[in-house]
Amino acid sequence: MGQAQSDVSDVNQSNQEEAPVRNDSSPTSLEDLIAEATAFGDDENEVSARNKVSLDAKAQKALECPCVAELRSGPCGTQFSQAFVCFIKSTAEEKGSDCVHPFVALQNCIKANPNAFSKDVLDEDESKKEEEHTEEYKIIPPTWAKEQKSKL
Amino acid sequence: MGDSTTICRDVPLLLSSFVDAFVDFSFSGFFLPQKSDSNSPKQNPNQTLTPPPPPELQTRYPSPDRLVAIGDLHGDLNKSKQALKLAGLIDGSDRWIGGNTTVVQIGDVLDRGDDELKIVYFLEKLKHEASKCGGLIITMNGNHEIMNIDGDFRYVTPSSLDEFRAWANWYCIGNSMKNLCSGLDKKQRDLFEGIPRVFPGIRKEFHEGFRARIAALRPSGPISGRFLSGNPTVLVIGDSVFVHGGLLKNHVEYGLERINEEVRDWIKGLKGRFSPRFVRGRDSVVWLRRFSEELARDCDCSALEHVLATIPGAKRMIMGHTIQEVGINGVCDNRAIRIDVGMSKGCGNGLPEVLEIEGDRNQNSSELRVLTSNPVYLTRKYNNPTMKTPEQKEGLGFLIPEHQPKQLEVKS
Repeated sequence: MGQAQSDVSDVNQSNQEEAPVRNDSSPTSLEDLIAEATAFGDDENEVSARNKVSLDAKAQKALECPCVAELRSGPCGTQFSQAFVCFIKSTAEEKGSDCVHPFVALQNCIKANPNAFSKDVLDEDESKKEEEHTEEYKIIPPTWAKEQKSKL
Repeated sequence: MGDSTTICRDVPLLLSSFVDAFVDFSFSGFFLPQKSDSNSPKQNPNQTLTPPPPPELQTRYPSPDRLVAIGDLHGDLNKSKQALKLAGLIDGSDRWIGGNTTVVQIGDVLDRGDDELKIVYFLEKLKHEASKCGGLIITMNGNHEIMNIDGDFRYVTPSSLDEFRAWANWYCIGNSMKNLCSGLDKKQRDLFEGIPRVFPGIRKEFHEGFRARIAALRPSGPISGRFLSGNPTVLVIGDSVFVHGGLLKNHVEYGLERINEEVRDWIKGLKGRFSPRFVRGRDSVVWLRRFSEELARDCDCSALEHVLATIPGAKRMIMGHTIQEVGINGVCDNRAIRIDVGMSKGCGNGLPEVLEIEGDRNQNSSELRVLTSNPVYLTRKYNNPTMKTPEQKEGLGFLIPEHQPKQLEVKS
């Protein structure tokens, strides 16, 4: 993976003193951990328990990555962080389906703050471009949607 | 240090699937498996220059032990669930309990009702549940899917526009969340790219709704591309041919696989804006009524006979599209089975009925039965095309009440 993501690797992680991360001989990528945690059932054995602790730590670390820096700020930053961490740690078959509560919290926050994640200015010239492009998008409307023509 | 680098390398992809799951959940209430799930093979999120070839679209299937065919649903989620319950496919909490049953939905999920996307998402959820049990749900393209992808919105309801607006709202929030991640260096395509803001001649209050509908359903739109492009337009399962309108000889000559692939490619946006010719017009595969006219004498049985003869193993054609007020029925010696009962409250508000086919591979026979919610009949059962009985009435398969001591074993 990842030859294109050089910008990410340049960033140095500020809080290295965080939770201990086990370095087994095995690879430590998040995806591998999730895959392992998923493969072993909850009650399996120490290995899976250890993985869970480890996954927890990794999920916390993921929050420090530049990709999510902006998402964590703003009115719904907290709700985002909780939902995202839950999702990362989710070992459910439909990933995230054990995260209903944090998802609903994020959803409610966005409903209350519709612009929580929108980049304010950026879209303006986009929309102008759009209107120039108003191509041949012809639709056939239902009769109820047509403007009434005044009969004289 | 190296460790956090490893973690951050994965985060853009994880964020992307998180956002997808969140958008699905916020709109539909369901958690659907995401394309970029961690249990799928790893891929670089930026490696999108050469998209993988679309998955093969299967046109022919062997006969399953049990098959249930469901007619036009037209935006009525309640009736859709009733139909599924009738066949014992979902339980009280709408989970799949159909085991290894194969389900064919004959198309026309869209239009005439307010819950179109809810049905689309619900069926998607069920598809995953079914596949875990060895079952299979196949949704097909009807003329209303084709029309909507084409921008023909004549049969849209006002409230359906609200549903599309709600969907578009969550979808755009998801896009802006992804755009905040610097690691996903490709900016999300604007949902409304190229779509006008105003539609002359159309009342203003609906403009936004139509924009959302176009965005979702146009070729390669997020809804059409994700949920409709995998729909076959023609299917052969065991000895039954499934098609929304009907097949003529020239369609078979054109090639069933070719029809499916060309429709798929068009919906994926690889063939321009307008639908292929064979899905447009009264003689097209999704519009034809030649074998589904309610009056048996209006059906062209000899044409049907010829068409079926050109499809190896085919004994009957199963169609939707034309509302059968009498319920599911067969004509032309039951070589034409018509399963659109007009169940949607947006057209007909008929009682849900589904067709059940049980196959017996050893005896090379299949048994057709109608499962109905009509209290007049518990089940209605068809005789076999090759076994004519005096009771057989014109235009209708004959009915055998449930309490009949012996069911007809049909050899076909």
